[in-house]
Amino acid sequence: MLTKRQKRNNRILAAVMLAASLFFLFPVIWMLANSFKPDAAITADMNSMRAFVPPALNGDFFSNYVTILTNTRFVRYMCNTLFYAAVLIVLGVIVNGLAGYALAKINFPFKDRWLMIIMLLMIVPMETIITIHFLFIAKLGLLNTVVGYVLPMIVNPFNIFLFRQVFVSLPDDVYEAAQLDHCSPIKYFFTMVLPMSQSVVATVSVFTFLNVWNDYLWPSLVFTSSDLLTAQIGLNAITSNDNTTTGQTLAVITMVTIPVILIYSFFSKQIVEGVVSTGSKEG
Amino acid sequence: MKKKTSDSLLGMAFFGPALVLLTVFLFLPMLLTLIFSFTDFFALNPALTHFTGLDNYFQILKDEDFRQAFFNTVQFVIIIVPLQGLGALGMALLINRVTYCKKYFKVAFFVPVVMSLAVVSTLWIQIYSPEGILNSLLSLFGIPAQPFINSAGQALPSIAVMSAWQGVGYQMIIFLGGLQAINPALYEAADMDHATPWQKFKDITLPELKPLCVFVFITITIGAFRMLVQPMVMTGGGPSHSTYTVVYDIYETGTVNWEIGLASTMAIIFAFFVMILTIIQTVLTSDKEDKHADKKTKAK
Repeated sequence: MLTKRQKRNNRILAAVMLAASLFFLFPVIWMLANSFKPDAAITADMNSMRAFVPPALNGDFFSNYVTILTNTRFVRYMCNTLFYAAVLIVLGVIVNGLAGYALAKINFPFKDRWLMIIMLLMIVPMETIITIHFLFIAKLGLLNTVVGYVLPMIVNPFNIFLFRQVFVSLPDDVYEAAQLDHCSPIKYFFTMVLPMSQSVVATVSVFTFLNVWNDYLWPSLVFTSSDLLTAQIGLNAITSNDNTTTGQTLAVITMVTIPVILIYSFFSKQIVEGVVSTGSKEG
Repeated sequence: MKKKTSDSLLGMAFFGPALVLLTVFLFLPMLLTLIFSFTDFFALNPALTHFTGLDNYFQILKDEDFRQAFFNTVQFVIIIVPLQGLGALGMALLINRVTYCKKYFKVAFFVPVVMSLAVVSTLWIQIYSPEGILNSLLSLFGIPAQPFINSAGQALPSIAVMSAWQGVGYQMIIFLGGLQAINPALYEAADMDHATPWQKFKDITLPELKPLCVFVFITITIGAFRMLVQPMVMTGGGPSHSTYTVVYDIYETGTVNWEIGLASTMAIIFAFFVMILTIIQTVLTSDKEDKHADKKTKAK
């Protein structure tokens, strides 16, 4: 049983932590509240508690958001990024999944050595070779193309390893039964292996999405044409424009974050699984 | 015999697409980076390339910008690692103890993690602005307005505080997982011996969390070494190169100035440090896990 004193201490701890959490979140609260205000109001409210309170709900409440959605190419940037993420999820699951399956279940020459090499590749920081990627894509004339952006990002040692770890524990008798039914290995992979491993497919997809959505350096190198920009590069293009007000800047960064919040709230289980099995958020 | 050949073919067919891409976008770039680091390869005039031995390495060591970038990166690591690591541990310990609104606290401290570096950097340009909200809050405590990212003295620490704020919730979740995995029987035994909360923390919690601490602190160190987006968005490496980092130097030398030779040398030095850290991390953490496993099997 909790004594009265323990109960009181628990309440005090919760109250102190509540205050701490509000202080910790003050930049986010300020961002949300002021994304609905014109700049004059943002400046006027800066030195009072009103800085953390959204304005009264009236006809102009969403005007920053409306301006961004109608006067800039923001929607285009968001759609671009969703499209790149979709392409990379499909290609990434196929290429890395097939490789992971081969390393888990098929006896081919130097299989164990390849697995070693894949694990070693996981420790190479991408920043080391990004200059060469840029050189390759520039020499191939693929700058400012979707192909040039996507090509170096498909294969991922982390994801190969993740797939391999899951596939290795799949039962072999299902494969033998499928062989008796004259099911080809490639058909078996797509109709049996992937559906049986939904959880790892979801984990890899979620990580690929977050990677594409949050990536900054690589898209900023490949894309200069405003038709192709990703949301992160696009937000920088919009907010560094002198005509963009502070309130509009805050509206942009709020909207860019919304898809990630949705992903985290729907797939928190997969994210935790991915963290545990690879020990790293960066793919 | 026939089964073996067909397996080899099948294996290569499944592994092949990945192998082609690995070769073109990982093995070849790694090899080229190493080779170019010994040349004066300039991408705008490749015909003039010479093998220059270790010249680049000596030149880099004397290069003012690179030395400053390296020094800045190390300084960034020194600020952010204790801030973010101990911050995450403290938060996890408190959230583990609190009995009210546990779920709210977990989410609240995790919120900045879902924001991308570009978003956080753009937001904090406003937070840190001379007439911004942070200076307005400081004035409540009688502290005069600070220049933050506009001064060479404060820019790097300001970015470090912001980055720790962004990342701390992620490590908090890892520590919380570790705390919940500690066997409650250990604490019950300590209670029977009338151990104080501090003794319990020092003799049970900390030793049990030690492998996780090693892992988390090195993860933060590696992440800090790779820092680039924050100064790119917020300061352009300034004021007067005070937020220029190693990766920033690699990026500018290689992709803006096209001096691939020099950029490769920097990349090799950078990769050397990051890979050493990763190997230390792997060795230390896997070693601890093995010992744990030993203990468990012995206990059986």
